[in-house]
Amino acid sequence: MALSAAGMLRAEAVSFGYAGERTAFSLADVSIEITPGSLTGLLGPNGCGKTTLLKLLCGVLRPHGGVVTLDGRPLSSFTRRELARHIAVVPQETHPAFDYSVMEMVLMGRHPHLGAFQLEGPPDFAIARETLIVTGTAHLADRNYMTLSGGEKQRVIIASALAQATELLLLDEPTASLDLGYQLEVASLLGRLSRERQVTMVLATHDLNLAASLCDRLLLLRGGRVLAQGPTSDVLTGAMVRQLYDVDADVQFHPRAGHLTVIPVSRTR
Amino acid sequence: MKAWTLRREPFPGPPKPANDASAVPAEAPSIRTRLAVTIAVYGALAVATCVLAPLVGSTQISLARVFDRSTPFADNVDAQIFFVARMPRVLSGAVVGATLASAGVVMQALLRNPLATPFTLGVSAGAALGAILVITFSTAVSLGALSPVPLASLGGALLASAIVYGLATRPGRTMSTMVLLLAGVTLNSFFSALILFVQYMADFTQTYRTVRWLMGDLDVGSFGPIVASLPLVLVAFAMFAVLPRSLNLLSVGTDAASTRGVDVGRTQRLAFLSSSLATSAAVSLAGPIGFVGIVVPHLVRLMVGVDHRIVLPASALFGAAFLVGCDLVARTVLAPVEVPVGVVTAMLGGPFFLWLLVRRS
Amino acid sequence: MFLTFLGVLCGQNVFVALVAQERVATRIVSLVPALTEMLFVVGAGSQVVGVSSYDDFPPEVQSRPRVGALLDPDVERILSLKPDLVLAYGSQTDLVGQFARAGIRVYSYRHGGVGNGVGNVLQTIRELGALSGRKAEGDRVTAQLQARLDAVRARVRGRPRPRTMLVLGRDAMALRGIYASAGVGFLHELLDVAGAEDVFADVKRESIQPSNETMIVRAPQVIIELHAGDEPARDVLQKERAVWSLLSSVPAVRNGRVHLLYGGYLMSPGPRLASAAETLARVLHPDAFAEGDVKIRP
Repeated sequence: MALSAAGMLRAEAVSFGYAGERTAFSLADVSIEITPGSLTGLLGPNGCGKTTLLKLLCGVLRPHGGVVTLDGRPLSSFTRRELARHIAVVPQETHPAFDYSVMEMVLMGRHPHLGAFQLEGPPDFAIARETLIVTGTAHLADRNYMTLSGGEKQRVIIASALAQATELLLLDEPTASLDLGYQLEVASLLGRLSRERQVTMVLATHDLNLAASLCDRLLLLRGGRVLAQGPTSDVLTGAMVRQLYDVDADVQFHPRAGHLTVIPVSRTR
Repeated sequence: MKAWTLRREPFPGPPKPANDASAVPAEAPSIRTRLAVTIAVYGALAVATCVLAPLVGSTQISLARVFDRSTPFADNVDAQIFFVARMPRVLSGAVVGATLASAGVVMQALLRNPLATPFTLGVSAGAALGAILVITFSTAVSLGALSPVPLASLGGALLASAIVYGLATRPGRTMSTMVLLLAGVTLNSFFSALILFVQYMADFTQTYRTVRWLMGDLDVGSFGPIVASLPLVLVAFAMFAVLPRSLNLLSVGTDAASTRGVDVGRTQRLAFLSSSLATSAAVSLAGPIGFVGIVVPHLVRLMVGVDHRIVLPASALFGAAFLVGCDLVARTVLAPVEVPVGVVTAMLGGPFFLWLLVRRS
Repeated sequence: MFLTFLGVLCGQNVFVALVAQERVATRIVSLVPALTEMLFVVGAGSQVVGVSSYDDFPPEVQSRPRVGALLDPDVERILSLKPDLVLAYGSQTDLVGQFARAGIRVYSYRHGGVGNGVGNVLQTIRELGALSGRKAEGDRVTAQLQARLDAVRARVRGRPRPRTMLVLGRDAMALRGIYASAGVGFLHELLDVAGAEDVFADVKRESIQPSNETMIVRAPQVIIELHAGDEPARDVLQKERAVWSLLSSVPAVRNGRVHLLYGGYLMSPGPRLASAAETLARVLHPDAFAEGDVKIRP
């Protein structure tokens, strides 16, 4: 059941169109290879297809053209349970319909590891506690999830995804709608997870600086098509930003921050 | 602290407890314990209600006389009251109460909406249409010794469910909650319009009987109708049994559930079918008794939390006790005139919801 | 549902805008089947130009145009018949207002269904007789009906009056949805005339919906079901009777005194109520009626 050492998630020329939009594809001919241990960023303006690509990569959506494979097997050959043991997703927003506690939310991540009528046991609780500590939300365990702040909620969802004990973690706009302080917190958490725990991550974001600080590889999407793909330092250039956002920006390495930064200067159009 | 990777390796065992300031609070009672305690408590409540209810009523009866074998059954009024009048009534109350409450829980999870009821998706409108068609035009229908109204209401309920299912299901893909809701609401409106039309054509007696049916009636008189509804009820409960954990995940969101390993389409179909079957059986047995399917789940959640693995069995048991209790009130408060049980549940449910609303805001 | 409130209304029939009028009505439209019957029985049938959708007696009504009923009166149709008197339900206040504005007299029948007492029925016959210029006939018919009722009462006088449940409706093939007479209304009064005690007389309502428990406790000695429709096939009749065997401790069931009666005349608050009383009396006290009399099959 474990992935092979290579364990690659690969999308080959996938395309996808939402119902009613058959003529205009949301995504067309997108290929990407996620290597183990990498932290890949999907960048692009709103509506460029980042979330769609993320959903294709985790199997929630089926591509209309092309194929997504995990470890060489198409995603469609996995059951959802199997897939959930390899890929976890942190969505942009989570709105439970009922007042689950933080612990209950985190324990939901254990579902793919439990039998049909099996109840969570001490190992599951241990994992849940561990992820709560790692994400700094241990003191919130008994709180009602809906009463938390945005940053706390996001970290709890990350904890829940970590509890799934997967090799891959996909995140959709993890810092959108967060205050600056929480943005840094989450970013540093993700960085730590990537370095210390070798979690392979794919991050969809429109925050160029976040991508610059975290990701070692970037995929730029525009209008559903790949604009550029490769190591961050190669791809994140002023020219690319201009093509992507029609914005004239200053892309520089910031010594204090330790990574590239993007300062928007003016619109080009 | 022992660092352990999140790769798929055999677990090295639970880590040593963290010593830092963000220590997790002491572990709450495990789910197993909570489940056992809940079932014990609510089970006892349900059983006690069902055992005591036949003893209480507008007429005093004595248990000794009920079981007095020396008097022939046909002459023993106390026994008649106990076994013919009250026992079937209490049992049907328990079955209908448990069924509607469970269906309500499942519907609320499926539609991700705490205000959903077993009747939201049109099942009871279909049942009502079936019943009123037979009540109005029954001279044309003769089904031998079978009572036509329960059969027709069952047929109507199943038809409505089938229509909504057909509209909302996309083979191999998840159901759209939006389509489900729209289909259900539309069907409700459409069937209600048909019902009004048929009522318009009915005469005084038929209209009166229809209105009476709509208020619900647990006085089945014999065990036959209850036994007849059991196959559907048992199938529905068998389907309920496999749903709870998936419902927890589903109620957070369909994509969220999917990425955590839930087969969302299958869970939705199972939830819809089980809830529809259960509701169809309940409504054909006793008419559309409202508020049980929404008040009981809410009350239970206030008491046991929101984990469906606990809420579902607790609601079933509490629902049984609740409806039997409401029926007890219905048949004693204004004796010999009976208040329809649907009126009692509504009068309890309405203020309860006002209170909930006020509390929330 | 206006109909459900009809039986609850109590009060007297009202002459609306008729007090000063002396003119005889020659073109009458009737929305109330019982009133139509009354018009025919006083000999004013030829003056009836329109009847309700539910009229079925006497047979002559089949030839009259239908103008709707309580919920759906067809005002245009009524007006097109150029009536000078319309018999309407008291609850149809809009209709009454409309006709008043059109200058058409309205007889507002404030009593529908079961709640109407026998005295009220007879009074209505007299009033309609006067309105249609058949006052003498009206009085004669009324007196005749009263005489028949008195005759029935005399016939059964002195005999034991069984506690009787008069069932006015029930779900087919089941002991559910039962409603029974409960101490008020013309059916209750007919039962009284026919020599029986209404088992729910103390409740003092037009009807009651007894539960199985209530019926077991009240233990009626006789159960009479009234049906306005036609008698069904024999095997269906047997099965419907057999439904009552569930309540085996009730004396009516044990002694086989469960009677299912069919016929439109049984539940009509009109001129046929004397026949209904006679039928009830025959069922309740068969020994009071000689062999030569026509038997009503229970």
